[in-house]
Amino acid sequence: MTYVGIQTQIRRNNFNSILLIVTFPLVLLGMVYAFLFFTAQQKDPQLINSTFTNVIPFVLIGTSLWFLIAWFFHNSMIRMATGSKPLERIDNKRVYNLIENLCISRGMKIPQIYIIEDDSLNAFASGINDSTYSVSLSRGIIEKLDDDELEGVIAHELSHIRNRDVRLMIISIIFVGIFAFIAEMAFRSLRFGAFSRGRGKGNGAIILVAIVISAVCYLIAILLRFGISRSREYMADAGAAEMTRKPYALANALRKIDQDPLIEAVQRRDIAQLFIENPQPEEKKFSFSNLFSTHPPIQKRIELLDQFA
Amino acid sequence: MIWIILIVIVVIVFWLIGIYNSLVRLRNTRQNAFADIDVQLKQRHDLVPQLVETVKGYATHERELLLKITQARTAAMAATTIDEKIRTETQLSAALQGLKVSVEAYPDLKANQNFLQLQEELSDIENKLAAARRYFNAATTEYNTGIETFPANMIANNFGFRRETMFDLGQERTNLEEPPKISFN
Repeated sequence: MTYVGIQTQIRRNNFNSILLIVTFPLVLLGMVYAFLFFTAQQKDPQLINSTFTNVIPFVLIGTSLWFLIAWFFHNSMIRMATGSKPLERIDNKRVYNLIENLCISRGMKIPQIYIIEDDSLNAFASGINDSTYSVSLSRGIIEKLDDDELEGVIAHELSHIRNRDVRLMIISIIFVGIFAFIAEMAFRSLRFGAFSRGRGKGNGAIILVAIVISAVCYLIAILLRFGISRSREYMADAGAAEMTRKPYALANALRKIDQDPLIEAVQRRDIAQLFIENPQPEEKKFSFSNLFSTHPPIQKRIELLDQFA
Repeated sequence: MIWIILIVIVVIVFWLIGIYNSLVRLRNTRQNAFADIDVQLKQRHDLVPQLVETVKGYATHERELLLKITQARTAAMAATTIDEKIRTETQLSAALQGLKVSVEAYPDLKANQNFLQLQEELSDIENKLAAARRYFNAATTEYNTGIETFPANMIANNFGFRRETMFDLGQERTNLEEPPKISFN
């Protein structure tokens, strides 16, 4: 494995973000073209091309609208999905002090702070720019960790923000969300089409197309997860160790988090990948989706942190 | 031939401009870092008079120390340049440190709610000050390294980039670590 420093990580994340934004509409247009091509009544390339050019503006406007809405409202969406609320300074001065001191020592802007009312231990960072960056902590993690450990966890989340991990994650979540929506629409229209028109002539083709499209969606979702550096959790751990100079504190915190990371409110897998440790119950049996799990094993992270100390 | 020479000259000029701009960026980062420190210093200035008032009522034998703190605060508030501020604020820190030691002798004062709250606020500010200083010193080190390494040092010398001071506890720390001198005469 080659050594990746923090500057390299930031550059790589910025590059990946732009790459995602550029390739996504192209992939989507490719899918639209494929759909038109396979569902056309007559295979007349000219007709298909002209319908395609007619459709292009609608597709682009639709996705950019979706993207803009998600870009501006992702914060409230994520807050709804995780059930987090703003944490006021008066309610918890200790958390504010820890975050402010860490931010000041790095010259960072102080992010917004949210709390998830849940006794379990977990935390995540989100946001896309200085004014939307936020750190969310569960009630359990604030109360069950001591100052040094909580500082380590917060430093880990701040490192995600500093490395631009969060922005890349949000963009990928938005895109995967759009694909998931399209796949769902394809299946829905397929079902309704089958009911209303009976077994028509074009149905076989539409079924095939819908299956192909959803397969492509799934493939793209997987590729996105791989494209986003999987080493980001290790990078953030290392960043936190460097910020606090107390790697053992973060290792202790991870040990405690490992006992009980389940946040019941979180049901969506795409939101789950934001957290410091997977907040969803893990499937014990071998499953396909675990192959593409979003978090590295916590034991390995603790081992690496212990090497620092 | 003449074109090649011209291109080489243009490339070199742009390269030099790039170096100059990066030095300016480093200098600005350092100045912005000091703004973070300034915020905390101002809060400390606001807090000191309250602290002095509270202590005055209990610690009657510390008039000299309190006077020293008040003077150090006045001097620190009058400072304008970064270097001056670093010098005067270090003195204020030292004076406040002295107060922290002396109040140990006054149990009544240490039980005073108002004093406890002020002390907590002060230690909050000093923690933040330490964090801000860490960032400022990191920025200063980066700037100093930037102007001293070849070839940037040639540009730095010609355009008045000079080595800047760090905000460390230099003198204050040695004062604290040395045992107090006691003389019998």
